[in-house]
Amino acid sequence: MNRALKKIIFTTVTLSVLCYIFLNDLLQGDWSVLSASWDNLETFWNESLWPPEWSMLEARKYPECGSSIGFFCSKAYIGMLETLKMAFVATIIGFTIAIFLSPFAAKNLTSAWVYIPMRIILAATRSLPSIIWAIIFVVIVGLGPLAGVLAMTFYTVGYLGKLQYEEMEGVQNSPLEAARAMGLSHPEIVANVVIPESSNNLLSQLLFMFEYNVRHGSILGLVGAGGIGFYLQFYLNFLMYKHVMAFIVVILVVVIIIDLMSMYIRSFVTEDGDVKRPSWSTIFLSPNQAKKYHHGKSEEE
Amino acid sequence: MSSSELILSVENLTVGYNEELISKINLEINTGDVIAVVGPSGIGKTTLLRTIAGLVKPISGDIFCKAPKRGGIGYIPQKLGLVRHTSVYHNVDLGARSGSRFFSEPKTWFKRRSERVTTAVERMGLSDKMNEPVRRLSGGQQRRVATARTLAQRPKLILADEFLSELDEDNISIVLDAVKEYMAASESAMIIVEHNIQRATEISTRLLQIKNGELVEYNPSEMKFDLDGGLI
Repeated sequence: MNRALKKIIFTTVTLSVLCYIFLNDLLQGDWSVLSASWDNLETFWNESLWPPEWSMLEARKYPECGSSIGFFCSKAYIGMLETLKMAFVATIIGFTIAIFLSPFAAKNLTSAWVYIPMRIILAATRSLPSIIWAIIFVVIVGLGPLAGVLAMTFYTVGYLGKLQYEEMEGVQNSPLEAARAMGLSHPEIVANVVIPESSNNLLSQLLFMFEYNVRHGSILGLVGAGGIGFYLQFYLNFLMYKHVMAFIVVILVVVIIIDLMSMYIRSFVTEDGDVKRPSWSTIFLSPNQAKKYHHGKSEEE
Repeated sequence: MSSSELILSVENLTVGYNEELISKINLEINTGDVIAVVGPSGIGKTTLLRTIAGLVKPISGDIFCKAPKRGGIGYIPQKLGLVRHTSVYHNVDLGARSGSRFFSEPKTWFKRRSERVTTAVERMGLSDKMNEPVRRLSGGQQRRVATARTLAQRPKLILADEFLSELDEDNISIVLDAVKEYMAASESAMIIVEHNIQRATEISTRLLQIKNGELVEYNPSEMKFDLDGGLI
Protein backbone atom coordinates (compact mmCIF):
# COMPACT_ATOMS: atom_id res chain seq x y z
CA MET A 1 0.00 0.00 0.00
CA ASN A 2 1.56 3.29 -1.01
CA ARG A 3 1.91 6.35 1.20
CA ALA A 4 -0.79 8.46 -0.49
CA LEU A 5 -3.39 5.70 -0.13
CA LYS A 6 -2.48 5.21 3.54
CA LYS A 7 -2.94 8.93 4.11
CA ILE A 8 -6.37 8.92 2.43
CA ILE A 9 -7.50 5.92 4.50
CA PHE A 10 -6.17 7.44 7.72
CA THR A 11 -7.90 10.80 7.03
CA THR A 12 -11.18 9.13 6.10
CA VAL A 13 -11.22 6.90 9.19
CA THR A 14 -10.25 9.78 11.51
CA LEU A 15 -12.96 12.08 10.13
CA SER A 16 -15.59 9.31 10.29
CA VAL A 17 -14.73 8.52 13.90
CA LEU A 18 -14.84 12.21 14.84
CA CYS A 19 -18.24 12.64 13.14
CA TYR A 20 -19.58 9.60 14.99
CA ILE A 21 -18.30 10.87 18.36
CA PHE A 22 -19.76 14.36 17.85
CA LEU A 23 -23.11 13.07 16.59
CA ASN A 24 -23.33 10.60 19.46
CA ASP A 25 -22.66 13.46 21.83
CA LEU A 26 -25.34 15.63 20.19
CA LEU A 27 -27.90 12.78 20.41
CA GLN A 28 -26.78 12.05 23.99
CA GLY A 29 -26.32 8.43 22.97
CA ASP A 30 -29.99 7.97 22.12
CA TRP A 31 -30.02 6.69 18.52
CA SER A 32 -33.59 5.41 18.86
CA VAL A 33 -34.90 8.79 17.69
CA LEU A 34 -33.84 7.77 14.19
CA SER A 35 -35.74 4.51 14.20
CA ALA A 36 -39.17 6.04 13.52
CA SER A 37 -37.89 8.86 11.36
CA TRP A 38 -38.44 7.22 7.99
CA ASP A 39 -42.05 6.35 8.89
CA ASN A 40 -42.60 9.92 10.08
CA LEU A 41 -41.26 11.31 6.84
CA GLU A 42 -43.40 8.96 4.76
CA THR A 43 -46.55 9.92 6.67
CA PHE A 44 -45.75 13.64 6.49
CA TRP A 45 -45.00 13.42 2.77
CA ASN A 46 -48.13 11.43 1.86
CA GLU A 47 -50.60 13.19 4.14
CA SER A 48 -49.36 16.77 4.29
CA LEU A 49 -46.97 17.57 1.45
CA TRP A 50 -47.86 15.73 -1.73
CA PRO A 51 -49.45 16.65 -4.09
CA PRO A 52 -48.66 20.34 -3.79
CA GLU A 53 -51.53 22.80 -3.91
CA TRP A 54 -51.06 23.79 -7.55
CA SER A 55 -53.81 26.41 -7.24
CA MET A 56 -51.03 28.64 -5.86
CA LEU A 57 -49.84 28.87 -9.47
CA GLU A 58 -53.25 30.02 -10.68
CA ALA A 59 -54.61 33.58 -10.73
CA ARG A 60 -55.72 35.03 -7.39
CA LYS A 61 -59.40 35.72 -6.98
CA TYR A 62 -58.77 39.23 -5.72
CA PRO A 63 -57.67 41.64 -7.12
CA GLU A 64 -58.94 40.72 -10.54
CA CYS A 65 -56.30 39.46 -12.98
CA GLY A 66 -55.54 41.80 -15.87
CA SER A 67 -53.41 39.29 -17.76
CA SER A 68 -54.67 36.60 -20.12
CA ILE A 69 -52.20 34.18 -18.50
CA GLY A 70 -53.45 33.41 -15.02
CA PHE A 71 -50.00 32.39 -13.73
CA PHE A 72 -48.85 36.02 -13.89
CA CYS A 73 -51.47 36.90 -11.28
CA SER A 74 -50.73 33.92 -9.03
CA LYS A 75 -49.37 34.22 -5.51
CA ALA A 76 -46.35 32.11 -6.45
CA TYR A 77 -45.44 34.36 -9.38
CA ILE A 78 -46.05 37.64 -7.54
CA GLY A 79 -44.15 36.47 -4.46
CA MET A 80 -41.28 34.99 -6.44
CA LEU A 81 -40.97 38.07 -8.63
CA GLU A 82 -40.79 40.27 -5.54
CA THR A 83 -38.11 37.99 -4.03
CA LEU A 84 -36.14 38.09 -7.30
CA LYS A 85 -36.32 41.89 -7.38
CA MET A 86 -35.20 42.09 -3.74
CA ALA A 87 -32.33 39.66 -4.35
CA PHE A 88 -31.25 41.48 -7.51
CA VAL A 89 -31.12 44.92 -5.89
CA ALA A 90 -29.41 43.62 -2.74
CA THR A 91 -26.85 41.63 -4.72
CA ILE A 92 -25.91 44.53 -6.99
CA ILE A 93 -25.68 47.11 -4.18
CA GLY A 94 -23.91 44.64 -1.87
CA PHE A 95 -21.45 43.65 -4.60
CA THR A 96 -20.67 47.28 -5.39
CA ILE A 97 -20.00 48.13 -1.75
CA ALA A 98 -17.99 44.94 -1.21
CA ILE A 99 -15.78 45.52 -4.26
CA PHE A 100 -14.84 48.94 -2.84
CA LEU A 101 -14.10 47.53 0.62
CA SER A 102 -12.42 44.21 -0.15
CA PRO A 103 -9.18 45.65 -1.63
CA PHE A 104 -8.63 47.24 1.79
CA ALA A 105 -8.98 43.82 3.43
CA ALA A 106 -6.56 41.96 1.16
CA LYS A 107 -3.19 41.22 2.74
CA ASN A 108 -1.25 41.61 -0.49
CA LEU A 109 -2.69 45.05 -1.24
CA THR A 110 -2.58 46.95 2.05
CA SER A 111 -0.79 47.05 5.37
CA ALA A 112 -1.97 45.32 8.54
CA TRP A 113 -3.16 48.71 9.87
CA VAL A 114 -5.75 48.80 7.13
CA TYR A 115 -6.67 45.20 6.42
CA ILE A 116 -7.23 44.07 10.03
CA PRO A 117 -9.86 46.75 10.85
CA MET A 118 -11.49 46.20 7.46
CA ARG A 119 -11.68 42.46 8.06
CA ILE A 120 -13.29 43.11 11.44
CA ILE A 121 -15.92 45.33 9.79
CA LEU A 122 -16.66 42.69 7.15
CA ALA A 123 -16.78 39.93 9.78
CA ALA A 124 -19.20 42.02 11.84
CA THR A 125 -21.64 42.40 8.94
CA ARG A 126 -21.30 38.69 8.19
CA SER A 127 -21.63 37.44 11.73
CA LEU A 128 -25.34 38.24 11.84
CA PRO A 129 -27.37 35.94 9.58
CA SER A 130 -29.55 37.78 7.07
CA ILE A 131 -32.67 36.81 9.00
CA ILE A 132 -31.42 38.69 12.07
CA TRP A 133 -30.58 41.69 9.88
CA ALA A 134 -34.13 41.41 8.52
CA ILE A 135 -35.60 41.55 12.04
CA ILE A 136 -33.49 44.64 12.78
CA PHE A 137 -34.54 46.37 9.56
CA VAL A 138 -38.21 45.44 10.02
CA VAL A 139 -37.95 47.33 13.32
CA ILE A 140 -36.18 50.28 11.64
CA VAL A 141 -38.06 50.66 8.33
CA GLY A 142 -41.16 48.59 9.02
CA LEU A 143 -42.62 45.49 7.36
CA GLY A 144 -42.09 44.97 3.64
CA PRO A 145 -39.53 44.34 0.95
CA LEU A 146 -37.27 47.30 1.86
CA ALA A 147 -36.32 45.60 5.12
CA GLY A 148 -35.52 42.47 3.15
CA VAL A 149 -33.40 44.38 0.64
CA LEU A 150 -31.43 46.12 3.40
CA ALA A 151 -30.92 42.85 5.31
CA MET A 152 -29.67 41.04 2.24
CA THR A 153 -27.45 43.97 1.24
CA PHE A 154 -25.70 44.00 4.62
CA TYR A 155 -25.17 40.27 4.59
CA THR A 156 -24.00 40.39 0.96
CA VAL A 157 -21.36 43.00 1.82
CA GLY A 158 -19.92 40.82 4.60
CA TYR A 159 -20.15 37.55 2.73
CA LEU A 160 -19.01 38.73 -0.71
CA GLY A 161 -16.38 40.98 0.86
CA LYS A 162 -14.69 37.94 2.41
CA LEU A 163 -14.86 35.91 -0.80
CA GLN A 164 -13.54 38.86 -2.78
CA TYR A 165 -10.57 39.70 -0.58
CA GLU A 166 -9.56 36.04 -0.48
CA GLU A 167 -9.80 35.96 -4.25
CA MET A 168 -7.71 39.12 -4.53
CA GLU A 169 -5.07 37.63 -2.27
CA GLY A 170 -4.81 34.75 -4.72
CA VAL A 171 -3.93 37.02 -7.65
CA GLN A 172 -0.51 36.25 -9.12
CA ASN A 173 2.27 38.38 -7.75
CA SER A 174 3.92 39.10 -11.09
CA PRO A 175 1.35 41.61 -12.54
CA LEU A 176 1.14 43.31 -9.15
CA GLU A 177 4.91 43.72 -9.03
CA ALA A 178 5.06 45.08 -12.57
CA ALA A 179 2.36 47.63 -11.71
CA ARG A 180 4.04 48.60 -8.43
CA ALA A 181 7.42 49.03 -10.09
CA MET A 182 5.72 51.32 -12.63
CA GLY A 183 4.52 53.45 -9.74
CA LEU A 184 0.78 53.00 -10.27
CA SER A 185 -1.36 54.04 -7.31
CA HIS A 186 -3.30 51.60 -5.12
CA PRO A 187 -6.70 52.37 -6.71
CA GLU A 188 -5.18 52.08 -10.19
CA ILE A 189 -3.65 48.70 -9.36
CA VAL A 190 -6.93 47.44 -7.92
CA ALA A 191 -9.03 48.67 -10.85
CA ASN A 192 -6.65 47.72 -13.65
CA VAL A 193 -4.82 44.65 -12.39
CA VAL A 194 -6.47 42.99 -9.41
CA ILE A 195 -10.13 43.14 -10.48
CA PRO A 196 -9.51 42.12 -14.11
CA GLU A 197 -7.20 39.30 -12.99
CA SER A 198 -9.81 37.89 -10.63
CA SER A 199 -12.82 38.79 -12.78
CA ASN A 200 -13.75 35.20 -13.53
CA ASN A 201 -14.15 34.24 -9.89
CA LEU A 202 -15.65 37.61 -8.92
CA LEU A 203 -18.35 37.03 -11.51
CA SER A 204 -18.85 33.52 -10.25
CA GLN A 205 -19.24 34.81 -6.68
CA LEU A 206 -21.69 37.48 -7.81
CA LEU A 207 -23.89 34.90 -9.49
CA PHE A 208 -23.63 32.58 -6.51
CA MET A 209 -24.61 35.43 -4.20
CA PHE A 210 -27.64 36.23 -6.33
CA GLU A 211 -28.75 32.62 -6.11
CA TYR A 212 -28.05 32.62 -2.37
CA ASN A 213 -30.06 35.80 -1.91
CA VAL A 214 -32.99 34.36 -3.85
CA ARG A 215 -33.01 31.35 -1.53
CA HIS A 216 -32.61 33.46 1.58
CA GLY A 217 -35.02 36.10 0.31
CA SER A 218 -37.61 33.34 0.49
CA ILE A 219 -36.93 32.90 4.20
CA LEU A 220 -36.80 36.61 5.03
CA GLY A 221 -40.53 36.86 4.40
CA LEU A 222 -40.97 34.79 7.55
CA VAL A 223 -40.07 37.86 9.59
CA GLY A 224 -42.18 40.19 7.47
CA ALA A 225 -39.51 41.29 5.02
CA GLY A 226 -41.60 40.68 1.90
CA GLY A 227 -41.26 38.34 -1.08
CA ILE A 228 -42.44 34.77 -1.46
CA GLY A 229 -41.52 34.18 2.18
CA PHE A 230 -44.57 36.20 3.16
CA TYR A 231 -46.79 33.50 1.63
CA LEU A 232 -44.63 30.72 3.09
CA GLN A 233 -45.09 32.19 6.55
CA PHE A 234 -48.82 32.69 6.00
CA TYR A 235 -49.48 29.08 5.01
CA LEU A 236 -47.05 27.64 7.56
CA ASN A 237 -48.97 29.43 10.31
CA PHE A 238 -52.10 27.57 9.22
CA LEU A 239 -50.15 24.28 8.80
CA MET A 240 -51.18 24.23 5.11
CA TYR A 241 -48.11 22.30 3.99
CA LYS A 242 -49.39 21.43 0.52
CA HIS A 243 -49.62 25.16 -0.23
CA VAL A 244 -46.10 25.58 1.19
CA MET A 245 -44.89 22.70 -0.99
CA ALA A 246 -46.14 24.49 -4.13
CA PHE A 247 -44.05 27.54 -3.24
CA ILE A 248 -41.03 25.34 -2.47
CA VAL A 249 -41.31 23.74 -5.93
CA VAL A 250 -41.39 27.23 -7.49
CA ILE A 251 -38.30 28.27 -5.51
CA LEU A 252 -36.51 25.07 -6.55
CA VAL A 253 -37.28 25.67 -10.25
CA VAL A 254 -36.10 29.29 -10.03
CA VAL A 255 -32.86 28.29 -8.26
CA ILE A 256 -32.15 25.66 -10.93
CA ILE A 257 -32.77 28.23 -13.69
CA ILE A 258 -30.42 30.72 -11.98
CA ASP A 259 -27.80 27.99 -11.64
CA LEU A 260 -28.04 27.18 -15.36
CA MET A 261 -27.80 30.86 -16.25
CA SER A 262 -24.80 31.20 -13.96
CA MET A 263 -23.05 28.29 -15.68
CA TYR A 264 -23.84 29.79 -19.06
CA ILE A 265 -22.55 33.27 -18.18
CA ARG A 266 -19.38 31.96 -16.56
CA SER A 267 -18.59 29.76 -19.54
CA PHE A 268 -17.66 32.94 -21.44
CA VAL A 269 -14.90 33.84 -19.02
CA THR A 270 -13.44 30.51 -17.98
CA GLU A 271 -9.71 30.09 -18.45
CA ASP A 272 -9.64 27.30 -20.97
CA GLY A 273 -13.03 28.22 -22.30
CA ASP A 274 -13.36 31.06 -24.74
CA VAL A 275 -16.18 28.73 -25.64
CA LYS A 276 -19.19 30.47 -27.00
CA ARG A 277 -22.23 28.39 -26.23
CA PRO A 278 -24.75 29.14 -28.91
CA SER A 279 -27.13 26.44 -27.73
CA TRP A 280 -28.49 25.43 -24.37
CA SER A 281 -27.81 21.82 -25.25
CA THR A 282 -24.14 22.26 -24.35
CA ILE A 283 -24.68 23.97 -21.02
CA PHE A 284 -23.95 20.87 -18.97
CA LEU A 285 -20.80 20.08 -20.94
CA SER A 286 -17.30 21.13 -19.95
CA PRO A 287 -15.65 23.74 -22.21
CA ASN A 288 -13.68 20.97 -23.96
CA GLN A 289 -16.74 18.82 -24.48
CA ALA A 290 -18.69 21.85 -25.72
CA LYS A 291 -15.92 22.63 -28.22
CA LYS A 292 -15.99 19.04 -29.49
CA TYR A 293 -19.81 19.13 -29.71
CA HIS A 294 -19.83 22.28 -31.82
CA HIS A 295 -16.90 21.16 -33.98
CA GLY A 296 -18.73 17.90 -34.62
CA LYS A 297 -21.85 19.80 -35.65
CA SER A 298 -20.03 22.17 -37.99
CA GLU A 299 -18.27 19.20 -39.65
CA GLU A 300 -21.64 17.55 -40.27
CA GLU A 301 -22.90 20.75 -41.93
CA MET B 1 25.45 63.16 -28.67
CA SER B 2 24.35 64.19 -25.20
CA SER B 3 26.65 63.48 -22.26
CA SER B 4 25.71 60.59 -20.02
CA GLU B 5 23.94 61.34 -16.79
CA LEU B 6 23.81 59.29 -13.60
CA ILE B 7 20.49 57.47 -13.21
CA LEU B 8 21.12 54.89 -10.52
CA SER B 9 23.65 54.71 -7.75
CA VAL B 10 23.93 51.73 -5.44
CA GLU B 11 26.13 51.85 -2.35
CA ASN B 12 27.16 48.89 -0.18
CA LEU B 13 23.94 47.12 -1.02
CA THR B 14 23.17 43.70 0.39
CA VAL B 15 20.16 41.89 -1.02
CA GLY B 16 18.33 38.74 -0.05
CA TYR B 17 15.24 37.59 1.79
CA ASN B 18 16.04 35.82 5.02
CA GLU B 19 19.69 35.35 4.18
CA GLU B 20 22.15 37.41 2.19
CA LEU B 21 22.28 36.50 -1.49
CA ILE B 22 24.56 39.23 -2.86
CA SER B 23 26.51 41.65 -0.73
CA LYS B 24 28.78 44.70 -1.08
CA ILE B 25 27.15 45.87 -4.30
CA ASN B 26 28.48 49.22 -5.48
CA LEU B 27 27.23 50.36 -8.81
CA GLU B 28 26.68 53.49 -10.83
CA ILE B 29 24.49 53.41 -13.91
CA ASN B 30 24.38 56.21 -16.44
CA THR B 31 22.10 56.95 -19.35
CA GLY B 32 22.91 54.75 -22.30
CA ASP B 33 24.20 51.90 -20.14
CA VAL B 34 22.89 48.42 -20.79
CA ILE B 35 23.96 46.28 -17.90
CA ALA B 36 23.62 42.53 -18.04
CA VAL B 37 23.63 40.53 -14.83
CA VAL B 38 24.57 36.90 -15.36
CA GLY B 39 25.02 33.90 -13.14
CA PRO B 40 23.46 30.51 -12.43
CA SER B 41 19.87 30.09 -11.21
CA GLY B 42 18.98 30.87 -7.61
CA ILE B 43 22.00 33.06 -7.03
CA GLY B 44 20.06 36.30 -6.53
CA LYS B 45 19.82 37.97 -9.95
CA THR B 46 16.06 38.42 -9.79
CA THR B 47 16.25 39.53 -6.16
CA LEU B 48 18.74 42.22 -7.14
CA LEU B 49 16.41 43.45 -9.87
CA ARG B 50 13.39 43.40 -7.56
CA THR B 51 15.33 45.30 -4.91
CA ILE B 52 16.29 48.02 -7.39
CA ALA B 53 12.64 48.14 -8.53
CA GLY B 54 11.65 48.86 -4.94
CA LEU B 55 9.72 45.62 -4.52
CA VAL B 56 12.03 44.08 -1.92
CA LYS B 57 13.65 45.92 0.97
CA PRO B 58 17.43 45.71 0.92
CA ILE B 59 19.08 44.04 3.90
CA SER B 60 21.50 46.95 4.06
CA GLY B 61 22.91 49.70 1.86
CA ASP B 62 21.40 52.47 -0.21
CA ILE B 63 19.82 52.85 -3.61
CA PHE B 64 19.60 56.33 -5.16
CA CYS B 65 17.44 56.41 -8.26
CA LYS B 66 16.97 59.57 -10.28
CA ALA B 67 14.03 58.13 -12.22
CA PRO B 68 10.66 59.56 -11.12
CA LYS B 69 8.67 57.37 -8.73
CA ARG B 70 5.74 57.16 -11.10
CA GLY B 71 6.60 55.80 -14.50
CA GLY B 72 10.34 56.11 -13.99
CA ILE B 73 11.12 52.40 -13.75
CA GLY B 74 9.84 49.91 -16.28
CA TYR B 75 9.94 46.37 -14.94
CA ILE B 76 9.51 43.25 -17.06
CA PRO B 77 9.32 40.34 -14.60
CA GLN B 78 10.39 36.84 -15.55
CA LYS B 79 6.72 35.82 -15.63
CA LEU B 80 5.95 39.00 -17.60
CA GLY B 81 3.35 40.36 -15.18
CA LEU B 82 0.58 40.63 -17.73
CA VAL B 83 -3.08 40.89 -16.84
CA ARG B 84 -4.08 37.74 -18.68
CA HIS B 85 -7.84 38.23 -18.81
CA THR B 86 -7.64 41.61 -20.51
CA SER B 87 -6.65 42.79 -23.96
CA VAL B 88 -3.25 43.69 -25.36
CA TYR B 89 -4.43 47.33 -25.38
CA HIS B 90 -5.30 47.25 -21.68
CA ASN B 91 -1.92 45.78 -20.75
CA VAL B 92 0.12 48.23 -22.79
CA ASP B 93 -2.06 51.06 -21.55
CA LEU B 94 -0.93 50.29 -17.98
CA GLY B 95 2.54 51.41 -19.02
CA ALA B 96 1.20 54.45 -20.86
CA ARG B 97 -0.95 55.37 -17.87
CA SER B 98 1.98 55.34 -15.47
CA GLY B 99 4.25 57.19 -17.87
CA SER B 100 1.98 60.04 -18.90
CA ARG B 101 1.04 62.73 -16.42
CA PHE B 102 -2.68 63.39 -15.99
CA PHE B 103 -2.30 66.75 -14.28
CA SER B 104 0.09 68.25 -16.81
CA GLU B 105 -2.58 68.24 -19.54
CA PRO B 106 -5.78 66.54 -18.33
CA LYS B 107 -7.69 67.18 -21.53
CA THR B 108 -5.26 65.27 -23.72
CA TRP B 109 -4.44 62.51 -21.24
CA PHE B 110 -6.50 59.81 -22.94
CA LYS B 111 -5.27 60.84 -26.36
CA ARG B 112 -1.64 60.87 -25.25
CA ARG B 113 -2.02 57.45 -23.69
CA SER B 114 -3.73 56.06 -26.74
CA GLU B 115 -0.94 57.35 -29.00
CA ARG B 116 1.71 55.75 -26.80
CA VAL B 117 -0.13 52.43 -26.83
CA THR B 118 -0.64 52.45 -30.59
CA THR B 119 3.00 53.33 -31.27
CA ALA B 120 4.37 50.67 -28.89
CA VAL B 121 2.02 47.94 -30.12
CA GLU B 122 2.79 48.75 -33.76
CA ARG B 123 6.52 48.70 -33.02
CA MET B 124 6.13 45.21 -31.58
CA GLY B 125 4.16 44.07 -34.64
CA LEU B 126 1.02 43.31 -32.68
CA SER B 127 -1.42 45.80 -34.21
CA ASP B 128 -3.75 43.03 -35.35
CA LYS B 129 -3.88 41.63 -31.81
CA MET B 130 -4.77 44.93 -30.12
CA ASN B 131 -8.13 43.74 -28.74
CA GLU B 132 -7.18 40.11 -28.23
CA PRO B 133 -7.11 38.79 -24.63
CA VAL B 134 -3.49 38.26 -23.65
CA ARG B 135 -4.15 34.68 -22.53
CA ARG B 136 -4.87 33.72 -26.14
CA LEU B 137 -1.48 34.87 -27.40
CA SER B 138 1.58 32.67 -27.79
CA GLY B 139 4.47 32.90 -25.32
CA GLY B 140 6.54 34.96 -27.75
CA GLN B 141 3.69 37.37 -28.42
CA GLN B 142 3.12 37.77 -24.69
CA ARG B 143 6.78 38.74 -24.26
CA ARG B 144 6.33 41.34 -26.97
CA VAL B 145 3.28 42.70 -25.14
CA ALA B 146 5.30 43.03 -21.93
CA THR B 147 8.01 44.90 -23.86
CA ALA B 148 5.40 47.13 -25.53
CA ARG B 149 4.03 47.97 -22.08
CA THR B 150 7.47 49.16 -20.99
CA LEU B 151 8.04 51.10 -24.21
CA ALA B 152 4.67 52.84 -23.82
CA GLN B 153 5.70 53.80 -20.30
CA ARG B 154 8.90 55.47 -21.59
CA PRO B 155 10.85 54.89 -18.37
CA LYS B 156 14.28 56.23 -17.44
CA LEU B 157 15.37 52.82 -16.22
CA ILE B 158 14.28 49.48 -17.69
CA LEU B 159 14.65 46.36 -15.56
CA ALA B 160 14.16 43.20 -17.59
CA ASP B 161 14.30 39.73 -16.11
CA GLU B 162 15.19 37.20 -18.80
CA PHE B 163 12.91 39.01 -21.21
CA LEU B 164 14.42 37.30 -24.25
CA SER B 165 14.05 33.74 -23.06
CA GLU B 166 11.61 31.48 -24.93
CA LEU B 167 11.81 33.81 -27.95
CA ASP B 168 12.82 32.68 -31.42
CA GLU B 169 15.42 34.62 -33.39
CA ASP B 170 12.81 36.71 -35.25
CA ASN B 171 11.10 37.74 -32.04
CA ILE B 172 14.44 38.48 -30.37
CA SER B 173 15.38 40.89 -33.15
CA ILE B 174 11.96 42.61 -33.04
CA VAL B 175 12.23 43.12 -29.28
CA LEU B 176 15.90 44.09 -29.24
CA ASP B 177 15.61 46.52 -32.16
CA ALA B 178 12.67 48.25 -30.49
CA VAL B 179 14.46 48.53 -27.15
CA LYS B 180 17.69 49.80 -28.76
CA GLU B 181 15.69 52.32 -30.77
CA TYR B 182 13.98 53.55 -27.62
CA MET B 183 17.24 53.80 -25.72
CA ALA B 184 18.88 55.72 -28.53
CA ALA B 185 16.01 58.19 -28.64
CA SER B 186 15.65 58.64 -24.89
CA GLU B 187 18.06 59.24 -22.08
CA SER B 188 17.56 55.97 -20.33
CA ALA B 189 19.43 52.94 -19.04
CA MET B 190 18.68 49.26 -18.79
CA ILE B 191 19.54 46.38 -16.51
CA ILE B 192 18.85 42.91 -17.80
CA VAL B 193 19.12 39.55 -16.16
CA GLU B 194 20.18 37.04 -18.76
CA HIS B 195 20.94 33.35 -18.64
CA ASN B 196 22.74 33.20 -21.95
CA ILE B 197 26.12 34.84 -21.34
CA GLN B 198 27.00 35.17 -25.01
CA ARG B 199 23.79 36.99 -25.78
CA ALA B 200 24.28 39.14 -22.70
CA THR B 201 27.66 40.29 -23.95
CA GLU B 202 26.25 41.06 -27.38
CA ILE B 203 23.59 43.40 -26.09
CA SER B 204 25.18 44.92 -23.02
CA THR B 205 27.70 47.68 -22.51
CA ARG B 206 28.70 46.34 -19.10
CA LEU B 207 28.45 42.82 -17.78
CA LEU B 208 28.14 41.84 -14.15
CA GLN B 209 28.58 38.30 -12.99
CA ILE B 210 27.57 37.10 -9.55
CA LYS B 211 30.42 35.10 -8.05
CA ASN B 212 30.53 33.89 -4.46
CA GLY B 213 27.79 36.30 -3.44
CA GLU B 214 29.44 39.36 -4.94
CA LEU B 215 29.15 41.23 -8.23
CA VAL B 216 32.16 41.10 -10.52
CA GLU B 217 32.26 43.46 -13.50
CA TYR B 218 33.56 42.49 -16.95
CA ASN B 219 34.05 44.39 -20.14
CA PRO B 220 31.89 42.53 -22.68
CA SER B 221 34.21 43.30 -25.58
CA GLU B 222 37.07 41.48 -23.85
CA MET B 223 35.15 38.32 -23.07
CA LYS B 224 35.84 34.97 -24.68
CA PHE B 225 33.57 31.94 -24.91
CA ASP B 226 33.91 28.24 -25.34
CA LEU B 227 31.98 26.39 -28.04
CA ASP B 228 28.90 26.05 -25.78
CA GLY B 229 28.69 29.77 -25.17
CA GLY B 230 30.17 29.46 -21.68
CA LEU B 231 32.62 31.95 -20.25
CA ILE B 232 36.32 31.05 -20.54
